Amino acid sequence: MKILVAVKQVPERDAQIRVTADGKWIDEGDLSYTINEPDAYALEEALQLKEKNGGEVVVVCAGPERVTSTLREALAKGADRAIHIEADDLGERDTLGVAQILADAVKAEAPDLILTGLQSDDLGLGQTGVVMAELLGIPHATIIMQVEVVGAGLKVKRELEDGWFQHVEMPLPALLTIQSGGNKLRYATLMGIKKAKTKETKTVTAAAASGAKAIALERVYLPEKQKKTEMLTGTATEIAAKLVEKLKFEVRVI
Amino acid sequence: MADVTLFAAVGPCFSGAALLSGLHVSGTAFSATLAEPAHFSLVEMGLLLACVATSAALFFWRFGPILRTIFRSKKDADFSLHPIGRRVWDFVWEVLCQAKVIQQRPLPGVAHAFVFWGFLAFTLVSLNHFASGVRLGFLSPESYVGKFYFVFAGVWALLVAVSIAGLFVRRFFVRPVWLGKKVSYESGFIALLIFTLMVTYLAAFFVSDSGVAVKALWWTHTLALLVFLPLIPHTKHLHLVLSPLTVFLKRDGFSKISPLSGDEDFGLEAGKDITQLISLQAYSCVECGRCTEHCPASTTGKVLNPKEIILGMRSYLNELGPASEVALLAEARPETTFGTTLSMEAAFECTTCGSCEYQCPVGIQHVPILVGLRRGATNTGAWEDTYGTKLFLALEKNGNALGLSATERDKFVTKQGLPIFDGTQEYCLWLGCMGGYDPKGREIIADFARVMDYLGTTFGVLKKEKCTGDPARRLGNDLVFGSLAEFGLKALETAKVQKIVAICPHCVRTISNDWREYGVAPEIEHHSEFMARHKDRLPKQAGSEKGGESIVYHDPCYLGRYRDVYEEPREIVAMAGTLVEAPRSHERSFCCGAGGGLAFLGEETGERVSHVRAAELAGTGAQVVGTACPFCNTMFRDALSEMETRPQLLDIAQLTARALPAPNVELPLTEPNS
Repeated sequence: MKILVAVKQVPERDAQIRVTADGKWIDEGDLSYTINEPDAYALEEALQLKEKNGGEVVVVCAGPERVTSTLREALAKGADRAIHIEADDLGERDTLGVAQILADAVKAEAPDLILTGLQSDDLGLGQTGVVMAELLGIPHATIIMQVEVVGAGLKVKRELEDGWFQHVEMPLPALLTIQSGGNKLRYATLMGIKKAKTKETKTVTAAAASGAKAIALERVYLPEKQKKTEMLTGTATEIAAKLVEKLKFEVRVI
Repeated sequence: MADVTLFAAVGPCFSGAALLSGLHVSGTAFSATLAEPAHFSLVEMGLLLACVATSAALFFWRFGPILRTIFRSKKDADFSLHPIGRRVWDFVWEVLCQAKVIQQRPLPGVAHAFVFWGFLAFTLVSLNHFASGVRLGFLSPESYVGKFYFVFAGVWALLVAVSIAGLFVRRFFVRPVWLGKKVSYESGFIALLIFTLMVTYLAAFFVSDSGVAVKALWWTHTLALLVFLPLIPHTKHLHLVLSPLTVFLKRDGFSKISPLSGDEDFGLEAGKDITQLISLQAYSCVECGRCTEHCPASTTGKVLNPKEIILGMRSYLNELGPASEVALLAEARPETTFGTTLSMEAAFECTTCGSCEYQCPVGIQHVPILVGLRRGATNTGAWEDTYGTKLFLALEKNGNALGLSATERDKFVTKQGLPIFDGTQEYCLWLGCMGGYDPKGREIIADFARVMDYLGTTFGVLKKEKCTGDPARRLGNDLVFGSLAEFGLKALETAKVQKIVAICPHCVRTISNDWREYGVAPEIEHHSEFMARHKDRLPKQAGSEKGGESIVYHDPCYLGRYRDVYEEPREIVAMAGTLVEAPRSHERSFCCGAGGGLAFLGEETGERVSHVRAAELAGTGAQVVGTACPFCNTMFRDALSEMETRPQLLDIAQLTARALPAPNVELPLTEPNS
């Protein structure tokens, strides 16, 4: 089974984020980047499927030169090949635009299964995988916890709300977006890093963004912290009643 | 004389009747001159040569394959004979003086030393013995030199006989548990042979030069020696041949972890990775069990037994050879002789306290072997452990072993008002994971910073600091360790740091020693060394002149055995109260259980090492437990919390800071109202 894993490189979780002067994107200067966490679980799922059923794992990532470090790490963990889609303008493309360049690069590979994280840690749109499946004309399932190969198809476990799960059987080829925490991640090893040096990384150039963007980022800003003080007046009974009212319906803590 | 009769059975070439009649003629008068058979017939000489040849052939038949295994093992890439002076000194001290043998177990140690020295004294006697058998004797019992030397050897023979008899009683009747559960009959037989050698030698002072008795003694002595020789290679007595060499050749430095060589080296993954020195050490093991006796894992009910690890390596080499690709570590493989001892579980129970290596009288370096085995498993991904993986991912992602966000350190630095190192200060204060992230470690840092301020020493902390990689290093993850070492070296170089001081012995060891594989770090010292150097300028605890509080000091493994620092922290403790020694202290200190990355590996099987040690420390009745390592501190804090009445637990920096005048500018973190 040929499995393709689409991963994204995102700023480290505890990085000090600064917004650029025009307020349209973040300052990438001093940032250190890492693999998007749900994508790390998608890669782990792919590696485990390969270990169980054999086949090949190809990892693909779009972005500037720096994303090759994430690709190398994926190769070190056990992926067989990597595809780097060179694109310096990801921030300017919308979901459809990013899904398009991924779909273009993936088409030639004709994988049996495409895995990706259910959403990214930075933008958190949760759509790239789904749109990609649509562009490739294959079925998809989202928020996947477990994947099992059954005959010529798959049996997957989806996470629903409130502790409920849905078990779905679906044909191949297919695309799944993987939820974090379904598996235990593996650590990169020295042997893996050394083997990764001999593995192939193909570089393709993304087609220039075409057409008008369906979604544009209006303003990027850091979460604003606000302190609001409100004085309650009246008798003690009135104040207590107002307080209960506010705690119940405004702050919603009781 | 009864003994002679008894042991004459060893010499089957003689008819009992001839022997007995010989004894009757000999009489019992002692003469200071050793009796030597006057004449050897050609038949006797032929017989002797045949016996010698047979014995030597049998010896090499068994010893040859061992030598071949050692020589065919992988070369030690980083081996160097330098420093030769240290090697000669170790040889003199540990081999010739038998220091380690005696230090550890004085009574059997002295007995062993007598046997060893006796053997040395006997070299000349034995050479002359065989030479005289072919009429080439060079030391005449009649000459002055001969007279002196044979009596001199006689005194040794007496000592050896008494000693070996004592050791025999110890091994077969007292039976210390460390010698192993199985009784080795071969050891008993060899003891008997040695006893025979000595008695037959001594008896020759009581017989005349002619007659059957002297011949009987001569031949019994000869045959005992010739039977002994082929027994050496496959028993623990191989240490007679190998251990002097092992001691001389052992790798320089305590617990030295060698760099990996080439792209195919991931540590001790399989037989192909066993180096010549490891091979030599595996065959040198004398099975005395000192390593096991002091091992914090073995003595608290874990699977790990350092002696069995070494013997497992030997069995592996015997069974599969030094070119094998079969993994050294796996889950239990009871079908092989080494499978039960060389297990993944055992290798990852080692706290790398180094007690085994420190005690070993034959120069075996256990810690590099255990870390090597872990490297082979971790660097290839064969070791799967939830906690281990979590730790490695935390080190990769967050750069600290506690898995906290790096901003937590920034917050602490700001809140504590610690200056950032900018090149103008004298010292870089290395926080480490404990100092930067752990509440107790932070208290120690805060107090040590007060001490430095009091002394007027300028210092600063790095703006960004990651773990030194110590837990990754000891757990065999060279990838994580290497990237952390490179990060640290670069950070120190960029900040132009000249001198570092740290509160954690693990940081000190890793930066000063293990980082050498990646570059040159600035000089670093432990805060105990720093404070001891300035102790004249530090105030004494009020009331300590009259004794003050009793403080039991716990030697951290990485400060004591790894760095040889024992007295400095004690000087600090003595200024804060009355120093109390734990039953196991200094070089024999017992581990707290945290080292080797084990602090991060979840629950232990058997008894907790930290609880055993904490109970021992509390058992001294001291009012305070003094520590010098934040890891020991955290282990004891947990262990002591379960006791009803428990001593106070303080780091030496805290002991010192208590005596400082109260701070009046800003409140340190240790104050409850901060």
